[in-house]
Amino acid sequence: MATLSVPASRLGADRLLRSRALGKLLLLALFAAVLAPWAAARWPGAAWPHALTVDLSGPLASASDWVVDNRDSHPLFLYFFGYVSNAVVLCVRAVYLTLLAAGWAGVTVFGALVAWRVAGVRLAAGTAAAFLACGALGMWVPTMQTLALMVVAVLASLALGMLLGLAAGLSDRLDRALRPVLDTMQVLPAFAYLLPVVLVFGIGVPAAVLATVVYAAPPMARLTSLGLRAADPGVMEAVASLGATFRQRLLTARLPLARKEIMLGVNQTIMMALSMAVIASMIGAGGLGDRVYQALASVDVGAALAAGIPIVLLAVVLDRVTAAVGERLGEGAEAAPGRTAARRAVLAAVLAAVVLLGRLTGALTWPGGWVADIAAPVNTAKDWMVDHLYSGVPVVGGTADWAAHFTTWVLDPIRDGLQGLPWWALLLVVAAVAWLIGTWRTALTATLAMAAIGVLGVWKPSLDTLSQVLAAVAVTLVIGFGAAVAAARSARCERMLRPVLDVCQTMPQFVYLIPVVALFGVGRAPAAAAAVVYALPAVIRIVGQGLRQVDPGALEAARSLGATGAQQLWQVQLPLARRALLLAVNQCVVLVLAVVVVGGLVGGGALGYNVVFGLAQGDLATGLVAGAAIVCLGLMLDRVTQPVERHVRKGA
Amino acid sequence: MTLTVPTRKPPTDAPVFSVDGLWKVFGPKADRVPADPELSALDAAGLRARTGCTAAVRDVSFDVLKGEVFVVMGLSGSGKSTLVRCLTRLIEPTAGTIAIDGEDVRAMDKGRLRELRRHRAAMVFQHFGLLPHRTVLDNVAYGLEIQGVGRSERRERAAEVVAKVGLEGMEKRRPGQLSGGQRQRVGLARALAVDPEVLLFDEPFSALDPLIRRDMQEEVVRLHREEGRTMVFITHDLSEALKLGDRIALMRDGRVVQLGTPEEIVGSPADDYVRAFVRDVPREQVLTVRTAMRPASAADAAGGPAVRPEATVAEAIEAVARAGTAARVVDAGRCLGVVDSDTLLGVVAGTADPAGPARPDTVPAGAGAPAPAVTAPPGKPGAPGAGPAPAAATPEAASGARTAGAGGRRAPASPTPPRTGTEAI
Repeated sequence: MATLSVPASRLGADRLLRSRALGKLLLLALFAAVLAPWAAARWPGAAWPHALTVDLSGPLASASDWVVDNRDSHPLFLYFFGYVSNAVVLCVRAVYLTLLAAGWAGVTVFGALVAWRVAGVRLAAGTAAAFLACGALGMWVPTMQTLALMVVAVLASLALGMLLGLAAGLSDRLDRALRPVLDTMQVLPAFAYLLPVVLVFGIGVPAAVLATVVYAAPPMARLTSLGLRAADPGVMEAVASLGATFRQRLLTARLPLARKEIMLGVNQTIMMALSMAVIASMIGAGGLGDRVYQALASVDVGAALAAGIPIVLLAVVLDRVTAAVGERLGEGAEAAPGRTAARRAVLAAVLAAVVLLGRLTGALTWPGGWVADIAAPVNTAKDWMVDHLYSGVPVVGGTADWAAHFTTWVLDPIRDGLQGLPWWALLLVVAAVAWLIGTWRTALTATLAMAAIGVLGVWKPSLDTLSQVLAAVAVTLVIGFGAAVAAARSARCERMLRPVLDVCQTMPQFVYLIPVVALFGVGRAPAAAAAVVYALPAVIRIVGQGLRQVDPGALEAARSLGATGAQQLWQVQLPLARRALLLAVNQCVVLVLAVVVVGGLVGGGALGYNVVFGLAQGDLATGLVAGAAIVCLGLMLDRVTQPVERHVRKGA
Repeated sequence: MTLTVPTRKPPTDAPVFSVDGLWKVFGPKADRVPADPELSALDAAGLRARTGCTAAVRDVSFDVLKGEVFVVMGLSGSGKSTLVRCLTRLIEPTAGTIAIDGEDVRAMDKGRLRELRRHRAAMVFQHFGLLPHRTVLDNVAYGLEIQGVGRSERRERAAEVVAKVGLEGMEKRRPGQLSGGQRQRVGLARALAVDPEVLLFDEPFSALDPLIRRDMQEEVVRLHREEGRTMVFITHDLSEALKLGDRIALMRDGRVVQLGTPEEIVGSPADDYVRAFVRDVPREQVLTVRTAMRPASAADAAGGPAVRPEATVAEAIEAVARAGTAARVVDAGRCLGVVDSDTLLGVVAGTADPAGPARPDTVPAGAGAPAPAVTAPPGKPGAPGAGPAPAAATPEAASGARTAGAGGRRAPASPTPPRTGTEAI
């Protein structure tokens, strides 16, 4: 009886599941059967019908003109944006001048001392070495420019994020209102933020800082709110039982309990701010990003590398130091207050002495003789690569050949396929996939976002971008899942991968373009390759974590039944890690899109190019439309791959 | 609503907490449930089906006397944790009255309630509720900090309490570096530091290892002996309840099914539920010789060993076995009755009619509140009560903790209505 009933019930469950999916598909098919012929008859052709587009370039251009005309006269600009803009410029300048006045020795010592206090000797040495390397690469001044912009943007982001996080953490209504906005902001590519701020502030430092703030504040707000909401209810109850007031509860319990999340928020905000500060070089941020941007524009890999290395060093140092602060908070080890104050005084004295010494000896700027020019040798190496590795290598073929093959065999067919598909069929596919993975709500959002792209009149370039995203996602997932499975099954593999992943995950998107341009030249394939490299660490990490967190009891049970390694993987680990796998896909799509769009800088074409073109030519209308399409594309891709919501609701 | 707990207000002791007709209903429009006799009579499933509400506490009434350890015991889901939170309105009650020293708790405004929580009732929690970012000392001083006590003074006072609960030398550690037992000592110290009138314990030792749990129970017994503080103790562990409680309220499905001394609960369970609950308790270690004694005849009065009226049956068995004759129950030089092997065996076997031995007219005046009549028919529990049970209350704890109403059980003259909602069972 028992043996009979088990398969029977499983079959039943299976059938139920299938029938639910089938039901959704049938409903959609019915819908399609009615509407598709009508739509096809009404608007023949595969591309989005022209009759259904709304041309926004006219109104946008006039809006942009209006802003330009009124920037110096309209009260909104005079009394609000003007002040904001001036304050930002003033702050950045003040920080920049302070950094310069401290001299290279002062800044290096300051960084090392801070790192030493919060994270120990090794990180202090690393920090000092990183600063010295920035100087040695001849990038001291750009590094300080970027740092000054970062300091201001990060402080503003933290303040803004903290406020929003407090509001969302303490008020359910505000949380409901803010959460979808913050969630959506999180998935949008950095590129999409550039144009709106340029429209208001024009190209320059204020626009760069504000774009950075808008981009970097959401993680702080999200994590603060999360930390406040996740406060141990037992502790909060105990605090209330002692008669604490609301303020006391917040200041002595809720905020300290959330300190780990808040510190993680600080870390993420800093990393995102760096990433954006580099990209914002396109709208006048200056500094390291600008050097990379200029070098990439002239395909000068050596110069790009010389500016890219300081960015990576800055990223790694900032990440490690802030992460170390978080860990230290977790341990909760603190010295006695008296000793801390004494130590601080000593450190301040050391710093002052170094700065003074620098001033007296007149060595404030990095000495010119100490600059190592790596651009020339790198370019020589690159030229050698172009000559010997690009093509014609026996058997394996050259990198340029690979890129060309990838373009003709993968990217082109996908693009042509997408563009050849009737627009209503594509909408149906989006709806079907989103509905099967998520809820009818995510399906509706995804379909509407896709339709909005058509309405904006950028159907074709958007599909081009989409084809690059799909190809890069496929490659990333194959490599990422493989690497993660290998790492989960072999400790040695994991040990080898971990430091690489740690470094890769901290680097700004922009930097990834440098090596791919060196290897593959420019075009759509390099953009996709950069996206793969950028998204890979996150995918490997999420999948690896999911596999490792599989209930060891279930795995042990499978082993005790004599399951082979492959059986364990396919029948236990992967099914149990399903949520992690889906999350990895979701993250992968979001990250890939972000870089594919940035790839517009290196010949990726499509929407990214429109944005770059809009910025470069001052044609904001084109850029804004492309930016809006990027937002829609990001929304669509995120919703299509968003399975989480339904399961959370089910569990709750 | 036949629920009237016979007021047990001895003239000398005013109740610290006085709870009357307390309801806590979770769910939409919870207010209507206690108000509507039809709804309030429904059982849990019926209530949920009808209204979508869950009644965690149903019409509970009791008084907590000054200086006693009042135990609320029940299985998980019986509403005992909700009940104790209602006392200081950590959970807002739905209906009924709560008074602390005669002052209506439900009528208190925010400031007054805060005052109550700060100075009059402090709570110890099952999962400790310590602040992980503070040292032991700062955790203990936290209640004082909330009250606005200056830094040096509160640290000084906290240090005293830390020493009192046996944590000297650990002041600088953080909760994460302590064992479970040590953490609960911190929780206890935090509650003690504010010098409250009442200590509320919410299953404080349930998360601890058995051995550490016993240590902590003894710590509580010790503290109570030394300070005589009023305590309300929530537990799901019968042996803990018997060991610590002066009186025990046994809860089931939100109602108090029996309220009485450990001896009453074990000796005359109010219904089958309680009977099943206490079946495995070694009766000879909880019941006193008062239960077993019979009137002294002239022959008995002459000789044999003497035992105190508070002595447990187990102790009397030892005395009787040693002497080989019946033992006299002697209180202040007067012989109250005798126990012999027959009567003692009857208690152990559970065959003795708990109402059996006629009480002498002289009830000791110091026996505290006269316990209310227990209604359940004596019955003949068929269970072998003397089986080797794991839930053994140690003799000295069982006898040492008895004060109020230890011997005051009176034979039910007539079947009085149940004291609590036993009709629901």
